[in-house]
Amino acid sequence: MLTPTEGTGGTGAEEELRIQYRIADLERRFGDPADPDNPLGITALLAADERGELLAEAEDVLTDFQLNAEFVPREWGGRLERVDTMGRVLRAVFRRDASLGLGYGATSFLAAVAVWAAGTREQRRRVAELLLGGGRLAIAYHELAHGNDFVRNEFRATPTADGGFRLDGVKQVINNVVRAEALVLFSRTDEAAGSRSHSVLLVDKDRLPAGRLRYLPRYATVGVRGCQNAGVEFTDCPVAGDALVGELGDGVELALRSFQITRSVVPSMILGGGDTALRTAVSFALNRQLYNRSVLEIPHARATLVGAFIDLLICDCLALAATRAVHLLPAETSVYAAAVKYLLPKLLTETTYDLSVVLGANFYVRGGEYGAFQKHVRDLPMISLGHAGTAACQATIIPQLPRLARAAWFTGPPAPDGLFRIRDPLPPLDPARLELVATADGLACSLAGAADELADDSRDGPGARTGEYGEALVALAGEVEAELRGLQEECAAMPAKDRTVLASPRAYAGADRYALLLAAAACLGVWRNQGTGQDAGGQAGPHAASTDFLASPVWPTVALTRLAKRLGRPLPKLPAGWEEHLLDEVLTRYHEARSYDLYDTPLAG
Amino acid sequence: MVPQPTGAPAPDPSGTRPPGRTQARTALPEQLGEREFARWLTARLAEFLGRSADDIDPRTPFAEYGLDSVAALSLYGDIEDEFALYLEPTVAWDHPTVEALARCLADAYAHSGGRPGPAGPAEV
Repeated sequence: MLTPTEGTGGTGAEEELRIQYRIADLERRFGDPADPDNPLGITALLAADERGELLAEAEDVLTDFQLNAEFVPREWGGRLERVDTMGRVLRAVFRRDASLGLGYGATSFLAAVAVWAAGTREQRRRVAELLLGGGRLAIAYHELAHGNDFVRNEFRATPTADGGFRLDGVKQVINNVVRAEALVLFSRTDEAAGSRSHSVLLVDKDRLPAGRLRYLPRYATVGVRGCQNAGVEFTDCPVAGDALVGELGDGVELALRSFQITRSVVPSMILGGGDTALRTAVSFALNRQLYNRSVLEIPHARATLVGAFIDLLICDCLALAATRAVHLLPAETSVYAAAVKYLLPKLLTETTYDLSVVLGANFYVRGGEYGAFQKHVRDLPMISLGHAGTAACQATIIPQLPRLARAAWFTGPPAPDGLFRIRDPLPPLDPARLELVATADGLACSLAGAADELADDSRDGPGARTGEYGEALVALAGEVEAELRGLQEECAAMPAKDRTVLASPRAYAGADRYALLLAAAACLGVWRNQGTGQDAGGQAGPHAASTDFLASPVWPTVALTRLAKRLGRPLPKLPAGWEEHLLDEVLTRYHEARSYDLYDTPLAG
Repeated sequence: MVPQPTGAPAPDPSGTRPPGRTQARTALPEQLGEREFARWLTARLAEFLGRSADDIDPRTPFAEYGLDSVAALSLYGDIEDEFALYLEPTVAWDHPTVEALARCLADAYAHSGGRPGPAGPAEV
């Protein structure tokens, strides 16, 4: 069993400090986003967005910072060691501009991950060299006509007698396709229908003969306007056999394995945008006078800000579990990655809508000090849908539920504590260990007996930390456990038809409930592992305050209340004062410029 | 093609199933060969696709019936539950028709001696 927490306290603390330093460095280079005179601030980024460009000065900063090193494994000269860390670092970019986060960086990682998972040494070396040299990799998987049903893709890479391929066809809405030096292409290599007819190719543009590659016009998009999404057409274009990534016919398998990493980490990155949305709304509520008082004095506004903060914490707990599962629970990541990619953008979208009500008419204004908000509203659906749509994620979860219900829930071991330790080290990233189908479900299993554990306040355990929230928290843990039991019965009896595209709305609702239950389990797990004194680097310096906040029973109680409400479970009465406690935290983090997530990261500005 | 063992004892269905199963299955026949596996697969596919077993051609790829990759992956679990055959999740990708998969299952079943695999019934 991989439990990296033991005996690595020293290295863990050092590693955590290195990560904090890296984020602080990036924040410092960007400076205060709210400062209108900052050439890298929101004002400049909004103007670039209006022009449909990535802000060149911001790209230069990311080049100097060597952001691409975050996407290259340490053994190949980069800084990539942990998927959770990548999400954390990229939040600093996404909180300023999602276009920049995707267009400068994340897109290259989405493409590179297939090469890290299955590429030859030579392919890995080439990709590492390209990215570390400031180059770009574009990922050309999707074709508009087939959406996420990429097994139907028609782009052809026909094997030739000399062991190479001939490329023919069109790929659309490919980010950076024009300026990338190399492309990762998902191509049909066999005419037969099925899941062994596609392969992934790594194609260097400078090795292609002239006149065989043509760019199609750029697409204008609602959000992430700075991203350069265009099409590409290949005509009878020869490439050598060394372009093949993995084995012939392994394309679908490689994609499903790669998606487990990318679906886990992209939602974690976009939490930075959620931070900006909440921060903008808090700023508005503090500064705007309505009816002779500040907006903050309006109860509905206070409730909305607090609710949004809790939603961001819920999202981060789930993102944490999913990204750490890539390392710790590779046999389970298939469902967790899909669950976080499904639920996190959905929660963020709904939270953002709630916050837009606080902003009122200012929500519509495209410039000025609150302009970042409408940009986030436009960007969010693009970054949510871009990589894997909601339905595709649900379609990954649903077929796996019956077996998990029958063979895993309430019978398997609970997730290891390391899954929930926000600053602890992790075992190395090994994409080859990711299973295509989840064979266990430790996160869901951690809900079994959670209420009993919380009710037991006699020991030096989490039950002793519940205080006046004990009754509510125990009741809520009991509700989510009961919900998992109900879901278990339904899923065990799920008709086979529901595992296909013909799935009933009921099956889709089951996937939704499952994702909410995983989020509840993640919140409880994170809270349970606070105050244990084992969180590397979490006990000293600037993080003492956040450790206290995360160890208090208020946030998990309110988080579970919000999740139980979505699940339609009965809600307990909460002790008076919970909202003030949370609002204090929201305002403190605003005034002290610390992030609205689990890490409580110091921010520039 | 591995010949089927003769006189292989019928697996005890109750012993090959993880507890908690809710769907009733008919007792397994004494010998499981291609024909039996094909019949079971056709019935299973009919359930998946919401169509009659008579409409399913044994040589048409699952994908052409609209069975997507992820749903096809879930078939291995059914096979494990039903026959205690421990195969790769991608078994239905590599043997993408009723005919091909039935042949693969008959081979695997013959290799397992007509009994649950060495690992025993699925761990629950």
